[in-house]
Amino acid sequence: MIKSFIDSSAGGQKLVIKKEVSRGLYSVLGGLLLWEILTRLFLENELLIPPPSSVLRMLWKLGSSGALNEHFLTTLLEFAYGFTFACAFGVILGYFMGMYSWVDEVLDPWIATLYSVPVIAFVPLIIIWFGIGMFSKIVVVFKLTTVAIALNTAAGIKAIEPAWLEVAKSLRLTPWQTTYKIRMPATLPYIITGMRLGVGRALLGVVVAELMAANAGLGYLLRDASETWDSPKLFVTVVLLALLGLVSFMLIKKAEQRLAPWRETAEW
Amino acid sequence: MKGVRRFGSILCGLLVWQIIAAKINDTSLIVSPWVVVAKGYEMLFQTAELYPHLYASSWIFFYGFLLAIILGVPLGFIMALSPLVRDYVNPWMTMLYTTPRIAFAPVILLWFGISGGSKVAIVFLGCIFPILINSYYGMRAVNREFVELARSFRLSRWALFFKILLPASVPFILAGVRLSIGRGLTGVAIAEWFGATEGLGYMIFFAGQTLNIPTLFVGVATFALLGILAFEIIRKIEDYAVPWRKRLQAE
Repeated sequence: MIKSFIDSSAGGQKLVIKKEVSRGLYSVLGGLLLWEILTRLFLENELLIPPPSSVLRMLWKLGSSGALNEHFLTTLLEFAYGFTFACAFGVILGYFMGMYSWVDEVLDPWIATLYSVPVIAFVPLIIIWFGIGMFSKIVVVFKLTTVAIALNTAAGIKAIEPAWLEVAKSLRLTPWQTTYKIRMPATLPYIITGMRLGVGRALLGVVVAELMAANAGLGYLLRDASETWDSPKLFVTVVLLALLGLVSFMLIKKAEQRLAPWRETAEW
Repeated sequence: MKGVRRFGSILCGLLVWQIIAAKINDTSLIVSPWVVVAKGYEMLFQTAELYPHLYASSWIFFYGFLLAIILGVPLGFIMALSPLVRDYVNPWMTMLYTTPRIAFAPVILLWFGISGGSKVAIVFLGCIFPILINSYYGMRAVNREFVELARSFRLSRWALFFKILLPASVPFILAGVRLSIGRGLTGVAIAEWFGATEGLGYMIFFAGQTLNIPTLFVGVATFALLGILAFEIIRKIEDYAVPWRKRLQAE
């Protein structure tokens, strides 16, 4: 009887999820259809809002000519490099901030100041210092992401159950083992949360930096399209950026659910 | 001890900055902190050229922020109370939320032109999501027992909403408001960069392009102060509106 109860509840659960997904699909498809019809009916000029079909056509055209690949890859590489360095450095920094309160106190005023300045106010300065090439974008991503990851790592290190550390002590683990076997796994969910917070900021930073001064990348494409009043191209860029944001967000969310299944992860 | 370390850290940091600036010795790359302070003093009290920028930015921020609260809170509530609305709005919202906001700036500019409206819209777009999402979670996280209590007192729907659901979700909403300050300020900087003639964002970008490092630093510092100020104001409101939060933290 219990088994059948579980089965039926599982089935019910599935049904609810399905309904959610189908409603979402309806919403997206309906919205796109409405957009297409309205723009075709009421707008003679594609300048303000191009219909989805012409955005798609533009995407195909740019994609098949290979012009898009270069820009997309440039942005992706800048993002990936900056993010990887930021994760490595942020975790180490956060570890020491969590372990030794004096490190935390010494760094705190500077981190608080850096954190409260709008992310993009530093971009002009970084471009002046590091040039308009790829390196300055990597620095921007690094700067924007490190703080979020370090703060979360420090919070995770501080929040470790004292009982676990006592177990480590009574098992006579070496400090290295304690760090590796207890502190790191326990802090992992916090690190992932920091990464989730960092992803959005990092993408914003890349695009802002590319918009300001670059010779390749999606931000450059955005600027190019808006300066030549090429609306379909502009929308293609927006769609690609949306995709990039969505995919990276989903990946991190999946990782968060796997590494910290006991925590209720945010829907957004 | 803690205060001493903080103070020492700030002092050491400034000293390092000073030494680096003296070593590089190129005012188009970096200037010493004292030059920045002097420039700030000059812009505040002698030429008074900071005020128009500050004024323009503050209003854009204020309008966008207010609009985000006015629209975001009810929308979050509606999504929490009606799964139907939530499911239909969800995919669009996720897309809008995860896309880097700057991508929308040229589009908004295309629609609204170079006016105050497009700037407010950019700030609004930055601010609304944390507020909306937190209102949603606030309403969802209301304790079941409170609702059951209201049922047994036979509260009407309105009374249930205004006496139970709304007060219980206020802490969440305020947390969302606090989160959106930083995003709103970023929005101001983005908005003023496209076709503005005044404002802190304009000041920073113009200074960056003319290699006027002292002005650039003054702009960045002003942004930081604005952020800290707004943050503290919301903190005070939180202490006033949600007094039990502070008590919990103290315990």
